[in-house]
Amino acid sequence: MGKLPFRKVWWELGTWGFLLPHLFFFVLFIATPLVINLIMSFYNWTLLGQRVFIGTGNFLRIWNDDRFWLAVKNTVIFSIISVPLTIIVGLLIALILNQEIYGKLWLLVCFVSPTFLGSVGILTTWKWIYASYPTGLANYYFNKIGILKEAISWFETSTRAWTCIILTTVWWIVGFSVLLYLGALQRIPPEQYEAAKVDGAGPLKCFWHITLPWMRNVLFFDVVRQVLLAFGLFDQVYFFTGGGPAGSTRTMVYYLYLVGFNRQELGQAAAISWYMFAIVLIFGLIQLAMLTKSIRSAEE
Amino acid sequence: MRQDNIFIALKKNKKTKKFVISIILWIFASFWFIPIFWMLSTSFKSTTVAVSENPPHWIPKEITSENYKLVFAPASGINITRGIINSLIVAVLSTLLVLVIATPAAYALSRLKFRGKNAIFWSYVAILAFPGVLFLVPNYFIIYGLGLIDTFSALILPGLGSTFGVFLLRQYMLGISRELEDAAWIDGCSRFRFLLTIVIPFVKPALLVLGLMTFLGSWNSFLWPLLVLNSPEKLTLPIALVRFSAGWGDPFRGIGPLMAGAFISVAPTLVIFVLFHRYLMQGISLGSLGKG
Repeated sequence: MGKLPFRKVWWELGTWGFLLPHLFFFVLFIATPLVINLIMSFYNWTLLGQRVFIGTGNFLRIWNDDRFWLAVKNTVIFSIISVPLTIIVGLLIALILNQEIYGKLWLLVCFVSPTFLGSVGILTTWKWIYASYPTGLANYYFNKIGILKEAISWFETSTRAWTCIILTTVWWIVGFSVLLYLGALQRIPPEQYEAAKVDGAGPLKCFWHITLPWMRNVLFFDVVRQVLLAFGLFDQVYFFTGGGPAGSTRTMVYYLYLVGFNRQELGQAAAISWYMFAIVLIFGLIQLAMLTKSIRSAEE
Repeated sequence: MRQDNIFIALKKNKKTKKFVISIILWIFASFWFIPIFWMLSTSFKSTTVAVSENPPHWIPKEITSENYKLVFAPASGINITRGIINSLIVAVLSTLLVLVIATPAAYALSRLKFRGKNAIFWSYVAILAFPGVLFLVPNYFIIYGLGLIDTFSALILPGLGSTFGVFLLRQYMLGISRELEDAAWIDGCSRFRFLLTIVIPFVKPALLVLGLMTFLGSWNSFLWPLLVLNSPEKLTLPIALVRFSAGWGDPFRGIGPLMAGAFISVAPTLVIFVLFHRYLMQGISLGSLGKG
């Protein structure tokens, strides 16, 4: 009789043996950090030594920090422009790649491979393209076709700097969306299009009534993914503008980096990250509400 | 009228049509790829020429390899060769460890029954929706507390807790048929052997995708190594390149060697993409299916 529970325990232990190695790192580097982050945000906490409990002091301080809200505004505006733009460009490229063509690999390399390339290689190259010299590639060609009269400094005004950041971002990350969309396009049964053709539907109608509904789930997944990505915008700002001019390209993560790692105010940085979490959550809920609404209206 | 004729000719010959469309798209796509061409072109020019030549030449008038020589000569105190080796060590170790740790966990979460399984699985999924920046500050603190600042462990270990790989593999493992598993039980096959001989071969494509994504993620990683690395002999390639370019007051004064370094950093990724793009495509649409 004593043997059965023992075997059962042994069996259960074996099961946990499969999970434990991963669970250990999950607890150490994912779960614990969340708790530490929460605790940290209530302390005046610097890396070396000092730890004083200050209650909601960090949250209040950040709440009243104009530079933080400027960074929030910048990040939100960036997301609102770059996310839809990436999705539209991604859809167009995916539709192109879904055609029957020779040498598709070259198109994949051109459109999709940049998304897998590292920030240093890509961003130093783009910075070189945006060089302020008359011989910088962007300056040279814009002057040649007559849009510009003289060489300009591309990161001098905030609109120009953001345009550069957004263009580079879309160029860089769209490939991943293209792969997602291509997968979805290839799952649409071809009979649907044939039936629509018999009914005399044009390509635009087919796209609207067949392609888009079939892609709805993937599109939603991609919007969520891209909003998370856009709220994490850091590398482009770090390489191009350093947050300038006058903080107008400073993003939330860049501000967190300045507060937490340049000024070493870990408590304040933790509070910033919780604000960011709240903002992402609000964005996520709005998206969810919009999705349920669109599904309902589609079902009616 | 002439245009009409062309269209009629195109309609007659489907293959010609496909060919013409392909060529148009190739040219269009090549325009998209201009930054990479420009990087490559600049890397073969001397810096003085690159900065001053007007108009800029796409094919350098004088092709020089001096930039590549300069990158590999550790004159500036930043050793790029060392950076490449470090990046490779970190990326390979990360990839192997992620695969070794995530596979049994995914197996437990997909095929085994135990108490708390649902709670663990849902916390693994829920965490995917948290922005990564939440973990930045406390993980720095943990790594600091463990005395791992400025070590390779600081780059490798935090990634092992990521739940994305476990989730991806689990979705794939759900496809293994019950009958197969039951047959293995009857044969007295242990769970460990079942994992090794049946599950792993079955999920090979997913393992390949997870391996590729982990390798590329580690190879390209920027912000985290920037925070935790310090000594010159431990820098990974991206950080070494940033330090390398910081050596010139105006970064464009060293644009030749910098573009050579940039090309060295993207070339392995391009090769991997060409070789494995099929698997990447497959794996990415699989990962989204589960979540979407």
